[in-house]
Amino acid sequence: MISANREAKVTVTNLTKSFGDLLVLNDVNFNVGDGEFLCIVGPTGCGKTTFLNLLSKLMPPSKGNICINGEIADPKKHNISFVFQEPSCLPWRTVKENIAYGMEVKKLPQQEIEERLEKTMKLVGLTDCANLYPNQISSSMEQRVAIARAFAAKPDLLLMDEPYGQLDVKLRYYLEDELIRIWQEFKTTVIFVTHNIEEAVYLAERVLILSNKPTTIKAELKVDLPRPRNFLDPEFVEIRKKVTELIRWW
Amino acid sequence: MENSKDRLILKILPYLGILAVLVIWELIVDLGIVPNTLLASPIQVVKLFFIKLNTADPDGAVLAVHIATSLKEALLGYSLALIIGIPLGLAMGWFVIVEGLARPIFEMIRPIPPVAWIPLAIFWFGIGLTGKAFIIWASGVVPCVINSFVGVRMTNPTFIRMARTYGASDWEIFKQICIPSALPMVFGGLQVALAASWTALVAAELIAADTGLGFLITMGRRLLMPDMIVLGMLMVGLTGVVIGVIVDKVEKRLVAGVRR
Repeated sequence: MISANREAKVTVTNLTKSFGDLLVLNDVNFNVGDGEFLCIVGPTGCGKTTFLNLLSKLMPPSKGNICINGEIADPKKHNISFVFQEPSCLPWRTVKENIAYGMEVKKLPQQEIEERLEKTMKLVGLTDCANLYPNQISSSMEQRVAIARAFAAKPDLLLMDEPYGQLDVKLRYYLEDELIRIWQEFKTTVIFVTHNIEEAVYLAERVLILSNKPTTIKAELKVDLPRPRNFLDPEFVEIRKKVTELIRWW
Repeated sequence: MENSKDRLILKILPYLGILAVLVIWELIVDLGIVPNTLLASPIQVVKLFFIKLNTADPDGAVLAVHIATSLKEALLGYSLALIIGIPLGLAMGWFVIVEGLARPIFEMIRPIPPVAWIPLAIFWFGIGLTGKAFIIWASGVVPCVINSFVGVRMTNPTFIRMARTYGASDWEIFKQICIPSALPMVFGGLQVALAASWTALVAAELIAADTGLGFLITMGRRLLMPDMIVLGMLMVGLTGVVIGVIVDKVEKRLVAGVRR
């Protein structure tokens, strides 16, 4: 299922979740390669959030498992980062302290933290606001802080839940490019969940399309286009159409 | 221009308001609308204030001693309320065991008005410092617990999930996320607790004391000196305001950056 030249970093097997009688996730299987950028799209209400909560181990699965490097995923052991849809900057910490938070929890040595902070803040263009508090910056900036925090922890697996869902389109394009830049720099394994098909095709190396509830993986598409991608490129449009077709539930 | 004029007016108005009240009050007494035996005029109160600065008669102590007594009692009771109430409330908000153990007892004691503790407090501790500190503690500890508890409970769940995905332990989440997030609520509680403590203090001193601002008020009644009653009331008010301002200053220092 993944590119031949890559090892599977994350293996998801028979992942199933039900709440009482309601089966939300039904026997999901897939792999994510080391350093791969995987997008997951699905119709609204297909259980994307449940899916992510399971992957991040915030919620126990009913059946099946998520393994990172062959071991069952555990936030205390593995390095998992999560960028939430809603703002998640701690208001009592400055931008810099917020970005450092994940690394502090991981108890990295202070010098390492400083080095990574400098690098990430430069990449995300936050150096100038290092000492501002979240209520002094815009919400798009806040989201970039959250993203910087996630990458700076150098996670084994980075989960992103529509991080740009609440931002306007123009800014989104800009931040998507930025995201790709950081990802290429850090070579992180990313699972990016979105309901925006264009965004998925723009970002992903591979797109998984989810079905309606009970959710399974309906299809998988490789996006082998050069970067930076062009929304008007006929190939791009072709893939987008395919994904749209697959996602239709009506 | 318009703006600076408005600001000037806003600056002057409060003083005008106070001045107006004082003038009307003075007139009411001077013109005999309310007899002098029932209410003292502001000038009489100010006069007594200066007399009481260095005269112990007729109530037995100079003003500074009364204030010092009240402050000592209030600060002792209040700080004990903070030291016990805040950690208890915070822990109740996060740790199920603490909530399960402490909540029923707390809920049972909470509706008892602090003043109702006075008789027992006198039995147990006499009319000295300890008894009053206890009553003040009993009234101050309730808002401390409630606000700290609610503050932790109101922690943004996304913050907790964020910390958890990074692998933070329960204790780390409590320390790094819940406590800072609860701080604005805790400080709100400090103000409420302060008001409650100060009220309880005066009530306690009205009943049993030999010095203190509440005692000064009681003596005013016994000696039929309305000016002394008013002076006592004003000193209670002013001292309360000063402590309130100090708490507010400390709060601003500590919760920089937290959205209010």
